[in-house]
Amino acid sequence: MRTSPLKDRFADKGAISRERYGVEVVARVADKQTECRAVRDAVGLTDFSFTRKYRILAEQGLDFLDGLLAGNVPKIRFGRVLHTFLADDDGLLVGDCYVANNDEEFILLCESIVPDGEIDRVMQAHGAAVAGVEDLTTSHVLLSLDGFKAWEIAKEIFGADVLGLPYLSIEVYPFQDQSVRLFRAGKTSEFGYLLLVPQAVAPALFDTLASAVEKHGGQLCGVDAHDDLRLEGRFFNIHAEGLRVRDPLVLGLQWMIDFDKDNFRGGEAIKRRRAQGIRRKIVGVAAEHGCDQLVTGAQIFHEGRTVAEVVANCHSFVLEQPLGLAVFPVELAYSGLSFRLAAADGPTVRTISMPPIMPKSLTVKLDEM
Amino acid sequence: MLLKHGVTAPEPISQSIARRAPVITTFKEELIRRLNLPFTPEDLHEDISLLGSGLGLDSLDALEIILCIESCFKIKIPDENVAVLRSINTVVDFVIEQQERKGVTA
Repeated sequence: MRTSPLKDRFADKGAISRERYGVEVVARVADKQTECRAVRDAVGLTDFSFTRKYRILAEQGLDFLDGLLAGNVPKIRFGRVLHTFLADDDGLLVGDCYVANNDEEFILLCESIVPDGEIDRVMQAHGAAVAGVEDLTTSHVLLSLDGFKAWEIAKEIFGADVLGLPYLSIEVYPFQDQSVRLFRAGKTSEFGYLLLVPQAVAPALFDTLASAVEKHGGQLCGVDAHDDLRLEGRFFNIHAEGLRVRDPLVLGLQWMIDFDKDNFRGGEAIKRRRAQGIRRKIVGVAAEHGCDQLVTGAQIFHEGRTVAEVVANCHSFVLEQPLGLAVFPVELAYSGLSFRLAAADGPTVRTISMPPIMPKSLTVKLDEM
Repeated sequence: MLLKHGVTAPEPISQSIARRAPVITTFKEELIRRLNLPFTPEDLHEDISLLGSGLGLDSLDALEIILCIESCFKIKIPDENVAVLRSINTVVDFVIEQQERKGVTA
C-alpha cells in the first residue's frame, strides 16, 4: 500500500488513516464537525499526497495529454489550470484531474478511483514513455490548504503576490532552495491552495504550515471532512458520487469536456451517449434536521414507486441538516420538488438548488487586500 | 415543512416543473448565445457553477450574465445580491421569486 511521506507527521497529531484504492489516506484528525467548521471559519490543512502527480514537458506532452483527457489541453493559457477528467474506454470516470500549463512543463494532478497500477497501465498505453512523462507521485507531496483564512497563510509564507492569483492558476515559489508549485484551486468553495512540494522540504513546509494553521485558529483535516465540504459547496467528488455513478453526463460534467475535440480516451462512448440524450441526472436533495435516512444507497419514492437513488450524502454543519445528491430521471430532475425517502410513506426529502450555502470566502475581495 | 432550505409549502410536482422549466430553458439559451458557450442547453447542468469553477466565467462574464437576466426576465439584480450567480439553479430561484413578487406567471 502506498503511504504518504507525511504519514508520521499526521500520525503524531492524532490522525486516523484508512486505505482507499490501495493508497493510505488520512481520514480524519479531529471530529468531522471540528474539521468542517475550521475550513468554513478559518483554515484546514490536509494531506493530498494520495493524488497521482506527473510532470510532462510541454513540447512532447501536449498531444499525449490532449489525447488522454476530456478537456482541451492546448487551450490552457500559460499559468492557468484546467479542471477535467480521465475516462476509461467506455467513457466512465477514472480520474478527476487538474492540468496546469507551467511554461515549459505541464503538471497533471489526478485523483483516481482505481489502484496506481491501473493508472500506470493507462499512461503507458497512451505513450507516456515517448512523451517523457515524469511520475512525481512518490517524489513529491501534495498539501491542500483550504478555508476562509487560507489566503492569509499563503501570503505569510509565499508573499503578497499570492493574492493576485486567479482561481485555477499555478505559480512557482521558492522554499528552502527548492521549488514549490502552488495551485490556486480547491474544491471546498472556500479559498484553496494545492502545494506540490519536493519530498526533501515537505516536512519543513508541513511544520511551517501546521504552525500557521494553528495560529489562525485552523485545524489539520482528513479526507472525510473534505468529502462533506465538497458536497456542501457542490464541487464534484470523484470519491463519492463519481465512484457510484461514473457516467460524466449523468453527473453533469459536460463542462469538463471539449466535444469538438477529435478524440480522447472514452470520447467516442461519451459522444455516443450524448447523441442519444441523457435519461438520468444528478440533483441535490435535503432532508429535515434530524433525519438519519438520507444516506448513500437510499431510494427516493414518488407516488408509491422508486424514482431515484441517493449517491452521496453528508451533514451540513452550516445548514445543520442532511444533504445529498440523488440520480433522478430527467423528467423529475428539478429543484424544489418534494418526494419520500426510503419508503413510499417515508420522511420528506426535497430537491434543492446547489450550492445551498454562501461560502464566506465569496465575501472577501483579495485584490483589495 | 421545517426545511431550512427551499420553499416552505409543497405544491404538486407538475405545477413546480411547469413554472421552473421555461425559466431554465430561456436562461440557458440566452447564456449560451451571449457568452458563445460551446454547449447545448442539455449540456448545462442546472447546478453548474457560473463563476470560477464550472463554466469558469470571469467578472466581465458576470456582468453579461446580469444583463442576460435583466433582458430575459426584466429583473434587476442588486449589487448585494450577486450571490444568486452561484449556479443556474440559484439564478432561476431568484427569477421565480421575483416573478412571484410581481405576480408574473412563466
